[in-house]
Amino acid sequence: MKLKRIIAVLIAAALSLTFMCATVSAVDPYTTYNYDAWWNAIPSQAGYEVIQTVTYRDIGLERVRDPSSEFFISETENVNFSDMKDFFISPKGEMYIVDTGNNRIVKTDMDFNLLAVYKNFPGSTSKHIVVDDQGNEMEVDADNLKAPYGIFVDEDDVMYIADRDNQRIVKCVGETATSARILQEYYKPETPLYESQSFYCTKVLVDSAKNVYVICPAVNKGAIMFSDSGSFVGFYGANRVEVTAEVIRNKLWRKIASEEQIASLTKSTPVEYANFDIDDEGFIYTVTEVANASTDAVKKMNPAGYNILERTADNNQFGDQISVTYNGTTYATRLTDIAVSDDHFINILDYTSGRVFQYDERCNQLLIFGFDQEEQRGGFSNPNAIETWGDNIYVLDGRNADITVFGMTEFGSYVHRAIALHNQGLYEEAYDLWKEVLKRDGSFYMGLVGVSKALYNQDDYKGAMKYSKLAFYSDEYDKAFEANRQEGLRNNFTLYVVVIIILVVIYFVIKILQKKGKIPRRLIATGVGKIADGCKNLAVSVVDKVKKGGKGK
Amino acid sequence: MIYDMKPWAWVKHVIFHPTEGFEDMRWKKAGSLKIAFFIVFLLFASQVFSSRYGGFAFNPRGYSDVFNIVPILVQSVAYYATWVVANWSLCTLFDGEGNMRRVAIYSAYALVPFIIGNFLSTAISYFLTLDESIWYTAIYQIGLWWSVILMIFGMKACHQYNFTVTIVTMIFTVVGMLIILILLALIMSLFQQVYVFFATIYTEILYRVRS
Repeated sequence: MKLKRIIAVLIAAALSLTFMCATVSAVDPYTTYNYDAWWNAIPSQAGYEVIQTVTYRDIGLERVRDPSSEFFISETENVNFSDMKDFFISPKGEMYIVDTGNNRIVKTDMDFNLLAVYKNFPGSTSKHIVVDDQGNEMEVDADNLKAPYGIFVDEDDVMYIADRDNQRIVKCVGETATSARILQEYYKPETPLYESQSFYCTKVLVDSAKNVYVICPAVNKGAIMFSDSGSFVGFYGANRVEVTAEVIRNKLWRKIASEEQIASLTKSTPVEYANFDIDDEGFIYTVTEVANASTDAVKKMNPAGYNILERTADNNQFGDQISVTYNGTTYATRLTDIAVSDDHFINILDYTSGRVFQYDERCNQLLIFGFDQEEQRGGFSNPNAIETWGDNIYVLDGRNADITVFGMTEFGSYVHRAIALHNQGLYEEAYDLWKEVLKRDGSFYMGLVGVSKALYNQDDYKGAMKYSKLAFYSDEYDKAFEANRQEGLRNNFTLYVVVIIILVVIYFVIKILQKKGKIPRRLIATGVGKIADGCKNLAVSVVDKVKKGGKGK
Repeated sequence: MIYDMKPWAWVKHVIFHPTEGFEDMRWKKAGSLKIAFFIVFLLFASQVFSSRYGGFAFNPRGYSDVFNIVPILVQSVAYYATWVVANWSLCTLFDGEGNMRRVAIYSAYALVPFIIGNFLSTAISYFLTLDESIWYTAIYQIGLWWSVILMIFGMKACHQYNFTVTIVTMIFTVVGMLIILILLALIMSLFQQVYVFFATIYTEILYRVRS
């Protein structure tokens, strides 16, 4: 009987040990970091890890050369991807990869099974002549794409392709496995408002009202907006001019300079944004690809084009906070793409470092992952686009011609669940999750803030003070401190009043006695001396305490 | 009023009698250089205290790990020293009657309210919320301006000037302080370069000797 019990215990122990081992996950090839309250980079836990790297072989793109396959295009068709610039995951869960170098669109499902390779685009209505930047006229290659740069797919599987070198936006639907029928084309707006000669569009986006937004790098007035019918509506949401010393100087010069001199001054123009994304509520998020831009680097715009991104005072920096100079080259953040997940996490892709920066809807920095070592798994050479689907994050690398799939770790999922509750104001519900986060990364900024707020709501003001201090969040600390002080006063009010009254009475009694000459001067002197001795002893003990315990509490 | 007071009693007297105190002190030839230097040390201590302590909401910087004592040393001791030197050098030219010892003593005594205000405001910030920061500011500002007024009357008594000349000389003293500090910075960088030059020669010779 006893033996049986011992054996049972042993087996249970062995089992639990094996399960413990099983939870140990793979180590990333890079150190994950995060920023603390002082914007110092500190080591952190990985919130995402690479679960798959997909190349043309995994998709089965060889079939474009196989005459027996439905995806057959020609014997000489390039099987590999070539310099992909963009990809898109449609609301139905199908991935559209813009194979820029091969002028085709590759469509797969979320398990990377090939669904279609769109190479032919019949149905163009008219022959169109476009003008390039040098003023040369050329004819649009109507039935084919020419260096497509961007794609958007709506819920009806209608594709909007930014056909860059043909200078048009193509609206089309898939017809066969290799061709898509053009429904409509959007060309350069014929209006004086549009000042640029060319229409080299790179990114395209469609809102729920089927308005088409187009980014042209030559146009800095914002996105070019077309209505559903194809007519030009206007520009949408231009960036503001970043205030630099030069801008201020020019502004001053303009006040005093003559007309000719003003004409020779450089115009202060805003920077055009590099990419955008739209969330399920119709807000458009833009990202601007300029090294260390702090003005409008990331925007969330309402339909009127106003930036409604909530920013805390010290949190309008996106990406890496400082640029690094290494071997004569300066590496500064260049935000190249933005993807907003269904649960409103903002993911920003940094082209320079190959890192993905994840923020919550209030722009709190959450997780940083990815790196620029192209030879390694999870590293990037030309990271061009980022997309999200469920909990996964997909990063497209143009030169490596692959797609990297990041899956969420346990740590990441704790962070996500906690921040979702936190942003709804359910601090107490988020408390346990934040505790789990802090178990894994004790200096996770939002975790400290979250625990502090939860403790405040639970009337544990001392704890709230402790955690807001750790998070270096002085406003929150002040709130907790005030509540704590209030509580202390309320609980001990009688005591304080009694002590004050007693002190006042003693003072007056002494004064009166002194006046009557009942207390000789010497007695007061000795009394004062005793008090002074007491103070001295107290001071010595305080000094000892401080020496022992460092800087007080 | 009995004017045969102990040295520390003079400090109290001067502080609470801004217009007459310094004249009395001059008349009695009172004032101790030791106490003056102790007050300057207290000034330094109060600066350190206010930058390292205080309620978290008021002074979060005080709770970071990085602390550099050099700027505080410059802001207290070096400013005081340059003030004394500049004021003495200037007022000697402007027919001021004070010698350097007196300038040093009177300026130091005038600093006491500022030091007390600094200590008090920092201490009180442990009990205040940000909404009540007016008390913190008030105490600090009262100390500061009290010290400024004392300083004006101190210099006036020290050099036996009238009010206008005192103000003018004080303004020029500040300019003189700036000049002294700039010259000091220049000299320091120059000496650093000389040092670097000799250090380079030294290493160069070492290489030759070794090879």
